[in-house]
Amino acid sequence: MGCEPTGSHTELPSPGRVLCLSWHPSGTHIVAGSIDFFRVIDVASGQTVQRIMVNHHVEKAKRECVVWAIALLSSGTVVSADSFGRVQFWDWELGTLAESHTVSTSAALSLAVSEKEDSIIVGTSTGATYQLQLLPVNLGGQEKRWVRTKPFQFHSHDVRAVAHSPTALISGGLDAQLVIRPLMEKMQKKGYDAVLRKFTFPHRRLVSCARKARLLLFQFSQYLELWRLGSTEETGKDGEVLSLCRMPEHLVQLKSKGPEHIYCSCVSPCGTWIGYSTASRFHLYRVRCDGDGVSLRKVPKVPKLLPPAYQLQFSANSDSLFVASARGSVHVFQLLEPGGCKHLHTLQPPSGCSEAVYLLAPSADGHWLAAVSGDWAIHIYNLKCFKHHCMVPAYNCAVSALAIHPSTNNLVIAYSDQQLLEFSIPEKQYTSWSRAVQSRGLHRAWLERDSPITHITFNPKNPAHILLHDTYLLCVLDKSLPLPDDSTLLMNQSTLKQLPETARKRQLHAFKICKKFQPLLFMDLLDENCLVVVERPIMDFKTQLPLPVQQKKFGT
Amino acid sequence: MYKSRIWRMFIQLSGFRWSGAFMEGQQPVLIFTTEKDEDFFVYVQKPKLSSLHKYKLEQQESAKPVCFTAHITNQTVTLLCLYSNDSVYQVLIPLQQDTEEEEEEEEILSKSLLLNFSASETVLKGTSLVALDKDHVAVLGSLTAPRKERRECLTIWNTKFHTLQTSKELPLGTSGQLWCYEEKFFLIHGKVLTVIMYKCETSSLAAAVGKLKCSQTPDVSSFVNWNTLEDEELEVSFQSQESVALQAESRMNLRSRRSTVTEQQPETLSIGQLLLNLKDASNYVLETKLRKLMAKAPTPDLQATIGCVVTALTDRCKRNPKYYPQLFLQEIVETRNLSYSLCPDLMAVALDKKDMHLLQICLERFPDIPEEITYACLKAFLGMSESHLQNIDVNLDSVICYIDVEFDNKEVKTEIAENGFGAAMDQDMCGTKIPKQSQPWSDDDSCPVGPQKAALLNAVLHSAYTETFLLPHLKNLPAGQAILFLRYLYYLYVKCSEKVNTTLPGIRSPTINQIMDWMCLLLDAQFTVMVMLPEAKELLSNLHKFVRAQVRFYSELNKIEGSLRELQRLNHLRESHTYSIEVLEII
Repeated sequence: MGCEPTGSHTELPSPGRVLCLSWHPSGTHIVAGSIDFFRVIDVASGQTVQRIMVNHHVEKAKRECVVWAIALLSSGTVVSADSFGRVQFWDWELGTLAESHTVSTSAALSLAVSEKEDSIIVGTSTGATYQLQLLPVNLGGQEKRWVRTKPFQFHSHDVRAVAHSPTALISGGLDAQLVIRPLMEKMQKKGYDAVLRKFTFPHRRLVSCARKARLLLFQFSQYLELWRLGSTEETGKDGEVLSLCRMPEHLVQLKSKGPEHIYCSCVSPCGTWIGYSTASRFHLYRVRCDGDGVSLRKVPKVPKLLPPAYQLQFSANSDSLFVASARGSVHVFQLLEPGGCKHLHTLQPPSGCSEAVYLLAPSADGHWLAAVSGDWAIHIYNLKCFKHHCMVPAYNCAVSALAIHPSTNNLVIAYSDQQLLEFSIPEKQYTSWSRAVQSRGLHRAWLERDSPITHITFNPKNPAHILLHDTYLLCVLDKSLPLPDDSTLLMNQSTLKQLPETARKRQLHAFKICKKFQPLLFMDLLDENCLVVVERPIMDFKTQLPLPVQQKKFGT
Repeated sequence: MYKSRIWRMFIQLSGFRWSGAFMEGQQPVLIFTTEKDEDFFVYVQKPKLSSLHKYKLEQQESAKPVCFTAHITNQTVTLLCLYSNDSVYQVLIPLQQDTEEEEEEEEILSKSLLLNFSASETVLKGTSLVALDKDHVAVLGSLTAPRKERRECLTIWNTKFHTLQTSKELPLGTSGQLWCYEEKFFLIHGKVLTVIMYKCETSSLAAAVGKLKCSQTPDVSSFVNWNTLEDEELEVSFQSQESVALQAESRMNLRSRRSTVTEQQPETLSIGQLLLNLKDASNYVLETKLRKLMAKAPTPDLQATIGCVVTALTDRCKRNPKYYPQLFLQEIVETRNLSYSLCPDLMAVALDKKDMHLLQICLERFPDIPEEITYACLKAFLGMSESHLQNIDVNLDSVICYIDVEFDNKEVKTEIAENGFGAAMDQDMCGTKIPKQSQPWSDDDSCPVGPQKAALLNAVLHSAYTETFLLPHLKNLPAGQAILFLRYLYYLYVKCSEKVNTTLPGIRSPTINQIMDWMCLLLDAQFTVMVMLPEAKELLSNLHKFVRAQVRFYSELNKIEGSLRELQRLNHLRESHTYSIEVLEII
């Protein structure tokens, strides 16, 4: 449970309001930070047992001191991070200040404690993060103190959230970046985990495509935008830009009511249904395009869902909607003409599940549905009889994307460790191609990428083709071609283009990779020879960020 | 026979215009020009070979030669003629070796235009011309421009590139005559004989277009203006009678303004006389009389008078080792615009008496201190013990604003990091940080010298100097002092680099260029010694690192600039087609 500061660091929330809280590991007490003070609440009685003023020692006490983040350690020590840039350690029972560290001249906004409670990460409004460690005063001695050890500057703006894993410090900033900084002293060997990672885009689908209607639905934090793609009548050679005979058209902007962010959204393949969900509500709309006009009508009496959807997916024929929900369940809604919706069934794994479903993949023939829950289990349901069909053998890694092949009903799964598996749903086993891939191993360059595959699609005209993409590349995986080994070049498209047709054959391998579009937000195949690609240039949103608190000035 | 020939020649002459004597190899060569019936003749005579050649100058319509000058290079006489049409013409006359017989027929010399002094409407009316070397001529004349007063000025021209090298205005007027001996110009400026030193460097295009750092210029010493006629007379009056003849000679050159000078003479003589009289007066009487003298001295001669006063004082100091009017001297130097040349002994006496404050003032104020004295001051300052200096009154204005009084000023350090150098530069953000070995001095940014010494050294940094003259002296600096000085310069440089605009705060604090120049100079002079010294090794490697860090920092900034430009360009490119349909071939 947590509270995040929602306003900017310059706006002060009303006094008395709880801005952050933390549970005691034993669950007996809660500590809650407000402006100028924090309280310790006894969970059993609900009484405030201690109230400590945090700006007592400050001369400039006229300024309010906002406690932005707080943590209650098992020893009873309260750690507070406040707007004066201090990290303070309190004995809450005595109400005394044990240690105070001014880590920054600007506000300390977030903090996280390691599981062993020997290390703390603090995020500040200048974008810097600091690590504090509990270290012995003398080598080998018993007495330990908190020491500010490492400063990091990975963000340009407020670091609003931090987390402390056993081996890494994780920080998220207002500059739209998530940074994972491994702690080198905890690393045994070089590898994927030992490298600094920065993520700008969530590893989730933010764009959905209505293939038949040629529409794209863009999900923003507070609104959705529906666009019709432009078209051309020309053809040309590789790299040519064709002139448009119809410009892309912005059909509709759908604003979400209230302050809640949109969590997930989807447009149906026929382009007439739009569904989205916020943290508390699920909405379904009917879109009608008559000539030039676009009308949007909210579907009344949508079944109330609690909690609402984690993922939405329309069936291929657009007559039903799958809603990923908590505890491994998937709700199946039947979509009714002219604009209605009824709850048909709820699919649940037979053995139960505590985690929510976060990925869904229906088959094109409407027969199967694959659902991935937070415990990384992949369940396959038969939609004809609404029964659990089977479960894909467990693999100890998160699933980043999955899709069912339209003609073979093979489920293609991409894992966050870059492994690719193909599972035959009718046969309930991995395909022979998948086994061949596993025994041979994927190319090293493929495995060393640091961005997971976020979307998989297929070419209906060529069953051997699997189309995949991550943030930096799109790949056509041709199962009919040999797999590359580590000695061959993985990204060989530019080499191939220079070779004469006859010489290309020997160089071909299964992974046809294109890195032309970066950062790649979405890719889908509209028809046999039409691919839609959505890029989101980083500068586009960097320029929209507010000014950083502290601007570095170079000597001139 | 020889005599008779000369004689015959003289008969032919109607008027001498110019003559010059030169040495070509071991032979003297006489060249003279004469004028007869509008025609000009040039005679080249080698007395040793008893040869005489007569040439006739090519006629120039509507212009007459005004002045001649010549030089000999490679057996060729280059005769330069200043004509009344504001042009200088060059006439080349070969020196003939094998002429025993007299050649009766006249050769006509053709001339070529070398310089023309009229640019648009401004015209330089030359009156005197002097060849300085094969590429430079000096012209004294008056500059006339429409709607402007005529101004007399001395100009130096580069004949190779036809450019004006430098010019000096002479607002008090001249006699129109210019002499030049041993790299000094002599001319009469107003009522005084002004001596201007000059130095001609090999002419290069860079110098001609003004790109060379220090092209030769009479301005180097023009502001010194140290030898006025009166001053000379004074020296004469109370030192010896020998140079009276010389004085008379120089006075002979005064044609136009002789009368004014003679009017001035009784008074200046009286000052000299007064000083002579005061020679044996008591210290107190001397000082009061001198103060009075300075107070009532007429303005035109004020500088000269003060110069004499200071000379009188220093003379007394030299004679009487116990006598040293420190405050009086300080007062004079601080209030009057003195220069080193006006009182050459003053700084030597101050050095002798270890009057650091006076030396500081002199260094800050005198524009013309010889490099030898500058070096002597530097050596004296560096050699002074800090404890001794603490009791000395020194002007700390140049130091007080940047020197660290408290050495644990943390804020200063963060500022260093901002400018690309300092702890943050080498700090490994990836965790494993090896604590740096602490060095006795390099890690703390404290000043290696005390504030008094720093202020004195700043005065040295401020003084004017010429590298070529200073370098030989700097080589003699003891190694220990050199290292101390270098450390101080390094400290200043670090201090400068901390600031965004790389200037130190405070009055008369050294500029980054001064610091860099001195640092380079010192390293140039002492490098071989420094390399051998173990204690200098750390400093040199630090300097090296520092410079490298700065270079790297700026190159990174350049790279960033480049990347940002590229980004901007790409952005523009992208914006133009946010939506496009492209052909993508995947093989």
